[in-house]
Amino acid sequence: MKRLLIVFLALTVTSVFAYGVDKHINLGDRATELKNEGKSRGIHPSLSEIRKMHPEFLLHKRDKTVHQGIRTRRNSLKECVDCHSTTKNDEYVPINAPEQFCSTCHQKVGTSLDCFSCHRTTPKEDL
Amino acid sequence: MSKKLNRRDFIKSTTAVTAGVATISSGITLTTFAAEDSPVTNEKRWGMLIDTNKLTESNIDDMVNVCQEENGWGSETHSTGAQKPDWIKKVKVRDKTTGKIDMLPMMCQHCEQPPCVDVCPTNASMKREDGVVLVDKHLCIGCRYCMMACPYGSRSFVHEDLSNQKEHMPRGKGTVESCTLCVHRVDKGGIPACAEAVSSDGVIFGDLYDANSKINQTLKKIQSTQIRADLNLNTGIRYSGI
Amino acid sequence: MNIRYQQIKGRSLGFYALIAGLGIFILATLGSVYFIEHHGHYVTGMSNRFVWGMPHVFALFLIISASGALNVASIASVFQKKLYKPLSRLSGLVSLALLMGGLMVLVLDLGRPDRLIVAMTEYNFKSIFAWNIILYNGFFVVVAVYLWMMFERRLNKFTFKAGLIAFTWRLILTTGTGSIFGFLVARQAYDAVIMAPMFIIMSFAFGLAFFILILMASYKWSERPLGDAIVNRLGNLLGVFVAAVMYFVAVKHLGSMYLAENAGIENFILFGEHIYTPLFWYAQIILGGLIPMALIYHPALRGNRSTLGLASLLVLIGGVVQLYVIIIGGQAYPMEMFPGKEILEGYGDIAAYSPSLAEIVLGIGGVAVALIAVTFLVKFLPFLPESLADEISDPHYKTK
Repeated sequence: MKRLLIVFLALTVTSVFAYGVDKHINLGDRATELKNEGKSRGIHPSLSEIRKMHPEFLLHKRDKTVHQGIRTRRNSLKECVDCHSTTKNDEYVPINAPEQFCSTCHQKVGTSLDCFSCHRTTPKEDL
Repeated sequence: MSKKLNRRDFIKSTTAVTAGVATISSGITLTTFAAEDSPVTNEKRWGMLIDTNKLTESNIDDMVNVCQEENGWGSETHSTGAQKPDWIKKVKVRDKTTGKIDMLPMMCQHCEQPPCVDVCPTNASMKREDGVVLVDKHLCIGCRYCMMACPYGSRSFVHEDLSNQKEHMPRGKGTVESCTLCVHRVDKGGIPACAEAVSSDGVIFGDLYDANSKINQTLKKIQSTQIRADLNLNTGIRYSGI
Repeated sequence: MNIRYQQIKGRSLGFYALIAGLGIFILATLGSVYFIEHHGHYVTGMSNRFVWGMPHVFALFLIISASGALNVASIASVFQKKLYKPLSRLSGLVSLALLMGGLMVLVLDLGRPDRLIVAMTEYNFKSIFAWNIILYNGFFVVVAVYLWMMFERRLNKFTFKAGLIAFTWRLILTTGTGSIFGFLVARQAYDAVIMAPMFIIMSFAFGLAFFILILMASYKWSERPLGDAIVNRLGNLLGVFVAAVMYFVAVKHLGSMYLAENAGIENFILFGEHIYTPLFWYAQIILGGLIPMALIYHPALRGNRSTLGLASLLVLIGGVVQLYVIIIGGQAYPMEMFPGKEILEGYGDIAAYSPSLAEIVLGIGGVAVALIAVTFLVKFLPFLPESLADEISDPHYKTK
């Protein structure tokens, strides 16, 4: 049983990595900047962790914000959108649009995401 | 009883947070924002005192407008008049006997015993420890039972798809919403947009429990009332002059 | 004498026509659901004043009818009336089918039906709605087990116990449905404990009317014998239930009028100038109450199947109207927000509701789903006795 579990976990982990290697992901303007400057390490625990765990992080943060009024920047969806959005013709592209940061992966793994039926899809009001 | 428990929880969680900050302080945001990192507690109760004698009609219109501006509602294109959201509205009443006319802003009254919270099947309608009544839209299924239960008609249902919401105020089709007492401002030490829009003492926002707060002291001095006080809901929004 | 149950053949043109007709209506229902959910509720007549509209009228109508349709089975297994025993299986089936139709309408009218899973996993035990979710789901299980006890010969001895649980469960369920309204302290139209027992009595009448219509139609169309013993007994029972509903309606309104704070809403419904007053008097009371009672009890019409069918249909129409008056009429009248004051602006007009086609189709679609479920299941499982002729169901019945 344990062995099966290890095999299963190994497969899921490698599939997450495999995707990152074989295709360039649209990271978003600010995130690319931070990555090039080498600052991205301080923001996310590790690439594999944030890839796998971001739903839990967001869920945990959302409850803390809505119910307890904790409005820190860490794991806040606003911050995700701020860094991972791209611009086109001097306008932000909604982050849930095709080929954008959220949707590339989510389409690939076939999971819908419900954040943006309510949350704003671009950083702050104006560019 | 519950108050005691909550206080204990509060102490527990604050110590946990301090410990957490000490250990994780690897240069990330946690340390910088430690002040915002503690949960709200029931040692505070946010409230508002609205003095209709000091409010002009244009004051009330201003309150409505800044609320729309702040929270991004009211520009729905498809919804008809009664379908549009109404987080705060201007209400004009006339006394049936004397004919005295009063005008007042009406919004969620942030009850201590909110009927909307009681009836919500999924816990989406909720009251924060500091007395602010909110809809957790992540849990809202749009059954609208809370709208049936609210004695103030102050909840709205989003009847159409929205885009370009305010960054701090997620809103979406198929969920219920209402005045949040601008928690996104209050949590950062600010006051609600509508209270800020009135320069006179017509609207006083503050902590009802704090004996030194202006709202507490004013409420001790002047005559005030709650709308539908007969329901014993103990509202956080108080009125004087009606 | 032993009762033999047999599936219907279901190969006639009429059977396929019925399935096709209901199927087309269900497709139209799905279309209107897609229309509403895609655009949002702005395409309906509902608003922030009319929070619940036509879909809720039909959903609640079907849900309370569902619990009432189980009564025939309860009379047989709990109260040991042998005459009703052959009808028990059909009674359970009609009950489940109506509940399914009602819940479908209720769920598809949610703002976020895609989040149904949230409703199943997050419970606020102070909420009547949350209780009802448990009661509705439980009802399916309880009645399914009850039906199983009836179908399986070896388990027949447990039908009394299963029936007793189902009977208790359905009483609690309808109490819960009535309490959705009964506990709304803010609204003068609803805030009354009598709502719960009144809903129970309404369920008796509407559920039985559904049952009579389905019973008579299925025996006629499958050309099986159905004796007067059963039909007349059911007809008499329906008359009693209809009278009981009218009694509760009278008590509710008289009791409510006694409170000065409710004078406004009572005047509005009973003596107002809006659509709700004629709906109440002409449709609910006369068409849905007095005329069916006359059709059932008039000596000249006794034992006449067509008039009993008509009476049942009128009871159902009256039932929909009654729920319309309760749900829509109750919301049309503004809440008493400032006692002693009149609201000039901002809130407080008598609001007008005009349901859109999509919501009406969605509502009636619930009935279609219930009927198609019954039609299919009587073909695939032996729900109906081969014969309900008098000498089988009640050998001592004397024809006049």
